[in-house]
Amino acid sequence: MSAGSAGLITLDALGPAGPFRARKRMTVTDVTGAPVAELSLVPKLFVTRAMDALRKAGSLPADERTAALARAGKIFAEETIDGLSFAEYEHTVARVSGVPIGVVQAATAAIIEATEQSRFAAYQARPTGAVDDWRAGETRTGSAVWTRRGDVFAVHAAGNHPGPHSLWVEALALGYRVAVRPSRREPFTPHRLISALRAAGFGNDQVVLLPTDYEAADEILRSADYGLVYGGDDVVRKYAGTNVLPQGPGRSKMLVPAGVDWRDHLDTIVDSISHQGGVACINATTVLVDGDPAPLAQAIAERLATIPSLPPQDPKAVLAVQPVEGARAIEKFLLAKAAGTTTHLGGDGIVEELGDGSAVLRPAVHQLERPDAEQAGIELPFPCVWVAPWSPADGIGPLRNSLVLTAFTEDEALIDALLQEPTISNVYLGDHPTYWIRPGVPHDGYLGEFLMRTKTVIRD
Amino acid sequence: MSIVDPLLEFPLDTQPDPDEFLRAALRWHFSPETGSPFWLERAGTLGFDPLSDIGGFADLGKFPNLANELRHVRAEDLIPRGYGEKPEVVGVYESGGTTGAPKRIVLLREWLDRLLAWSSAQLDRHGVPQDVNWLVVAPTGPHMVGDVIKRQTAFRGGLAFTVDLDPRWVKKLISDGKGAEAGAYAEHIVDQVAFLLQTQDIGVLMCTPPVLERLARRDDLAKLIDEKVKAINWVGTQMDADTRYLYRTEVFPNAHLYSGYGSTMILGNASERPGLSDDDPCIYDPFSPHMIFDVVDPETRETVPYGERGQVVMHHISKSLFMPNNLERDYATRVPGPEGVWQLGDSVADIAPVQEFDNETVIEGVY
Repeated sequence: MSAGSAGLITLDALGPAGPFRARKRMTVTDVTGAPVAELSLVPKLFVTRAMDALRKAGSLPADERTAALARAGKIFAEETIDGLSFAEYEHTVARVSGVPIGVVQAATAAIIEATEQSRFAAYQARPTGAVDDWRAGETRTGSAVWTRRGDVFAVHAAGNHPGPHSLWVEALALGYRVAVRPSRREPFTPHRLISALRAAGFGNDQVVLLPTDYEAADEILRSADYGLVYGGDDVVRKYAGTNVLPQGPGRSKMLVPAGVDWRDHLDTIVDSISHQGGVACINATTVLVDGDPAPLAQAIAERLATIPSLPPQDPKAVLAVQPVEGARAIEKFLLAKAAGTTTHLGGDGIVEELGDGSAVLRPAVHQLERPDAEQAGIELPFPCVWVAPWSPADGIGPLRNSLVLTAFTEDEALIDALLQEPTISNVYLGDHPTYWIRPGVPHDGYLGEFLMRTKTVIRD
Repeated sequence: MSIVDPLLEFPLDTQPDPDEFLRAALRWHFSPETGSPFWLERAGTLGFDPLSDIGGFADLGKFPNLANELRHVRAEDLIPRGYGEKPEVVGVYESGGTTGAPKRIVLLREWLDRLLAWSSAQLDRHGVPQDVNWLVVAPTGPHMVGDVIKRQTAFRGGLAFTVDLDPRWVKKLISDGKGAEAGAYAEHIVDQVAFLLQTQDIGVLMCTPPVLERLARRDDLAKLIDEKVKAINWVGTQMDADTRYLYRTEVFPNAHLYSGYGSTMILGNASERPGLSDDDPCIYDPFSPHMIFDVVDPETRETVPYGERGQVVMHHISKSLFMPNNLERDYATRVPGPEGVWQLGDSVADIAPVQEFDNETVIEGVY
């Protein structure tokens, strides 16, 4: 990143021969539509050559990788990188993505933590029967060794939130060479992180940033051994069962069974909906309650209604901001989909314009008549929750397809069923918000389950 | 009018008066003794008399675009009678068929000689050496380019090695969603190219950008090309400026990379303007006044201002063919002709098929 001639930040591609400033560039704008940066878009030939360089490169030894990752976290957090201080970078991310600055700060802290704990986090996935290295004493009597399935890992990053960039550093920790295609909405985080990784000792041919248009984007995945993509249901369908791991909609849910007073958990429920501005896949989309959902929906609405509308760089900002046009499109979509439900908040719309071309996405609370209503599966990038009735007779059907399910229950049979359900990725029992996460626990299965395998080694 | 008007055969180092040239062409194509059956049949349906109502190029727009009729007319009917009983025909060629059934034209020896003389001079200006062999990875029949380049190579004193490429088959595979098969076909092309590169003296390589990209991916072939080949001529589809830059600086730093743009409907091609920098768009100057380019607004059909994009309209006017007002599928930026060089009509830059837009109206979800 560096200041361009027009005062814009210049984001070069980070290729195997160093930064590359392409002739083809796109302007990255902030939430008011004001230009902030120029992002180089590389052609397919650049991608092909970069991926080839990754394939030919070696990996740093494990200890060096771990140390370099930790150093990179420090550089990311402390140094001026291509003209931007850490605070300036965070401010820019908030202005461009519309994610509240406090959320950005929490996400960057998570990225830094991920670099510090990369080895621990990445190797948590290692089977207990396996060792890290064939040199370990265990292989003298025969042991499984945990090894990479491939060499090159590609990521199509998401732009909703900087947080997911803490995941692919695990691939680096495992010895993969990594290519990241940044989101064109928020390319700043991977650009800064990769710049820091290179400054910390990773080679230009070990981690690259490849901003591209659509055609060349596919080429990144095609040329890699394994990949990671973020997207909607279509993306999940497209890549299911391939060497590309799709990260789809979260549709995280909360369950309040009979005998549990939701008043005891209202803070956790409201937080799960609105924390992170509601932009994340681990925000609660649906709350199911055994009994009349109206009082709970009303209580959630009353809490959410008090959140102020502020620009994203305001330290007190909680809600996400988008350009007015995009916000209106989301609002229109919501109003059309919410027809027939009982509205507790946001019935007149959810857009509050800030007068500078940007708009706050205010919360919406709707009550459904049935747990299997179509709306229960609609996840939108702001605090938008569907509150529905549920009873044990409905079974776990309405709880399926959840990245996180928080259930305020001690019913062991139910807990067993939830854990056995393949489409529920994470089960939180009791008073734990859906957004709870820390290094070393999987977000949607360990990345290492996907990238690694065991091989038996016995030696003299 | 059995005697050929010398204006139609003006020496290439002279500038004919454009309006007189056009009137001479119309006299040739619309006189019963010399015109083609195709135009003589249509003359009565035009609603005007080409010989008395067309004063010059300003009136050319009166002619309808009859290129679509080339999809079904007898090829013989396209040959002007003025060539006599035994005209020297090089071949009958077809358009790519992208916009429906293929269109057919007849390439006469006389026009080919003029075209080769002109285009060879263009190659000299690019510094493409004479007396070297060409490796032509391009379609041969029913397409024109393969045959013309083969003859151009002979004209310039080299051997032509050809690897045939069937663009219609590739388009069919891709439109049927058989991307992998299209890729396998392209690799089959590359394999054939490899044998020639490894065993023969190749001075110039002509191919399409997708083939070049696949060649560049094979380290050994990329190295061979950069060692042996003096010039790489890419044709057929567009190449963005960054890709061109990477080829010139990283992949093939020793070979001169330049492009060509042509159309069956103008019976020929133009090389990119010599001397363009890495940041310039690819500009093509036509063989004036035989080929004339215009860039129009697709809605209004008005010529767009310089620097703006629009749809390409082409005219071909020579002794062998008159085909005015042909609206091409391509889009281009309208640019003025080269400074200090006489040219009728405009030059075109950054040719591309109809603009595609990023359709990113995803609402649902958080990513």
